[in-house]
Amino acid sequence: MTISKLQVGQTRVVKGLRLPPGEAAWLRAVGLYEGVSVTPLRFGPFRGPVHLRTSTGAELAIDFDLAQAVDLGDLP
Amino acid sequence: MTAAVALGAKPTATTIALVGRPNAGKSSLYNALTGGTARVGNFPGITVDVLEAQVTFGTGDAVTVVDLPGVYSVEAIADPESDEGHARRYLDRLSSAGTPHLVAQVLDATHLPMGLRLTLELKRRGAPMVLLATQHDELMRRGSMLDAKALSAALGLPVLAVSARSPNVKQQLEAFLADAVRVRAVEPTLVTDVDALAAQVLKPLGDSKAQAAAVRRRTERMDALLLHPVFAPFLFVGLMTALFAAVFLVSDPVTGLIDLVNRALGARLESALGPGWVSSLLVDGVLGGAGTVLGFLPQIVILTMAMEVIEASGYLARGTFLVDRILKLAGLGGRSFVPLLTAHACAVPAITSTRIIRDPGQRLRTMLVLPLMTCSARIPTYGLLIGTFFATRGPVFKGAMFVGLYAAGALAGFVASLVLGKTVKRAGRSLPLVLEMPAYRRPQAKVVLLAGWRAATRFVRDVGSVILVATVVLWALLTVPGPGSAEASLRAPPDSSPRVVAMHGSIAAFVGRALEPVTQPAGFDWRINVGLIGSVGARELMVGTMGVIFGIEGDGDEVSPLSQKLRDAKSRTGARAYGVPTGLALMAFFVIACQCMSTLAAVRRETRSWRWPAFVFGYTYSVAWVLAVVVFQVTRALGW
Repeated sequence: MTISKLQVGQTRVVKGLRLPPGEAAWLRAVGLYEGVSVTPLRFGPFRGPVHLRTSTGAELAIDFDLAQAVDLGDLP
Repeated sequence: MTAAVALGAKPTATTIALVGRPNAGKSSLYNALTGGTARVGNFPGITVDVLEAQVTFGTGDAVTVVDLPGVYSVEAIADPESDEGHARRYLDRLSSAGTPHLVAQVLDATHLPMGLRLTLELKRRGAPMVLLATQHDELMRRGSMLDAKALSAALGLPVLAVSARSPNVKQQLEAFLADAVRVRAVEPTLVTDVDALAAQVLKPLGDSKAQAAAVRRRTERMDALLLHPVFAPFLFVGLMTALFAAVFLVSDPVTGLIDLVNRALGARLESALGPGWVSSLLVDGVLGGAGTVLGFLPQIVILTMAMEVIEASGYLARGTFLVDRILKLAGLGGRSFVPLLTAHACAVPAITSTRIIRDPGQRLRTMLVLPLMTCSARIPTYGLLIGTFFATRGPVFKGAMFVGLYAAGALAGFVASLVLGKTVKRAGRSLPLVLEMPAYRRPQAKVVLLAGWRAATRFVRDVGSVILVATVVLWALLTVPGPGSAEASLRAPPDSSPRVVAMHGSIAAFVGRALEPVTQPAGFDWRINVGLIGSVGARELMVGTMGVIFGIEGDGDEVSPLSQKLRDAKSRTGARAYGVPTGLALMAFFVIACQCMSTLAAVRRETRSWRWPAFVFGYTYSVAWVLAVVVFQVTRALGW
């Protein structure tokens, strides 16, 4: 399961990032790190960006391709 | 004193470096501490330069305060040319130079865990540091407060909870930082779980969950409307049309008043000084040129303030979300949106702000298309052309014309991006869009007024310096006889005054006429050509140049405004010189041509090559000429 497959309002926990190490480290610094839970608020049309909220309260817009690279697991 | 500093410059006093995530509030605290005017906004990446100011606190401590671009991490890899790269280089240099310094991390108290991750990274660097937790008023509004003592004890560093909007923020910061500068202690910390620490130090005030939920619901309601997949684009276009119509409605009377004062002053000067070159220089050169350009001050100020409101409200990030897919189609990305929007005020800072784009290829392509966006320097020319050729139309029509010109610039940028996306590549790490969506905020009147004041002073300074000198030089070129002046003077329209006849034999007329074989297919005569040559350095000069030329042409007529003089202008046969096709062709030319030396210099600075500014100049002028010819020929064939 990845962020791109979630429904709006569904919440899951980030389990891993399938990205090159440098890119993954930067994304973790922005706020998408293992253990944080994410909830999509809306999807941009035509595979546009995903607007999501994390359990830290941050709201992010991330590219759809990137959303496909964030692996999720069930809530603890 | 505030200045952007070169990364190689050596700090002279104890340096307090304001470090933090983008949009944490660093620039607001910097302005509070220094009395500076760094741009602040509700969008990540507003600060892309390193700003520095020397200040003496009320405690007597003299320090250098530095505002750095936002950083998410000081350990993850960052492109050295990006805004983060610039900030990190400054911190590295500060450490290696051995200069006494203090890292003051600014973190948004409403997003504490994210800021604390950066805190741990900064602590690992070993430099003396303090925490400035901003947005404390907003945190309390959401039903929580920060236990600064507990946070300080856990992290082993001084912490101050502060709000940039507080009236005594300067005193609070000075007292806190003065203590920290004297002590500069580094204590270890055992904290590793920042989420747990944040939960521990944020204390609820009443029903904090309900209050936080209320704030979230308000944002969600606004987002549901402003990010609606169907209505949002229409709302955006409607908002922009209303904005430009308002610019015309509000500024037209003020512009008219400035014009009236200008002409009354001209008439007085002429009657006091009598005919001669001194009165011609002052009336036709100074008032006709620089004075006419000054009349467009209200449009520029009102538009700048409106853009500031949009930015400070948090709508900018929503705009990025909306256009990301479209920009991706054009080979750009959502992060290109901010430079593209900034370029609607001025392309020079927009080119610097491309540092927030983390894909080198996208960054270069964005820089190359930025000059196509409709900057405020085009406003005087557009205002003059719309006022001349569509004088009888109402403000809504004129506003729609303005929106059309802005849309034409954006469309030109889109097409150019598509073409450049297939031809201009640059090696480097490609990073897709990741953007923080800030909460909506009510724009501060002080910040909006400051933006308007900055735009006004910059414009008046330009008019009083570059434009004034250029229009005086142009007046001289229109007065001094050129080669074959006697023969050329005969080309003046019938019944022209001696001054007009002399102008037709001037150096400027000679040069303008030499270009006519190239520009006549676009409907431009020598007078417009002189204006186009004058505006190579800066677009505003077009209006100034026209003011000087038609000031001399309208010899003895100080009553009619420039737009009337343009409408009444005669060709050498005595027929009307310019119609709607010429006006539209000129607009088309101005939409595309990069008539701004500062923009080209900024492209040179950011690309470290003359190749790219030469390319921008070449492609925009070529396309501008072709488009102007097409527009003129088609509209004339249609009988407009």
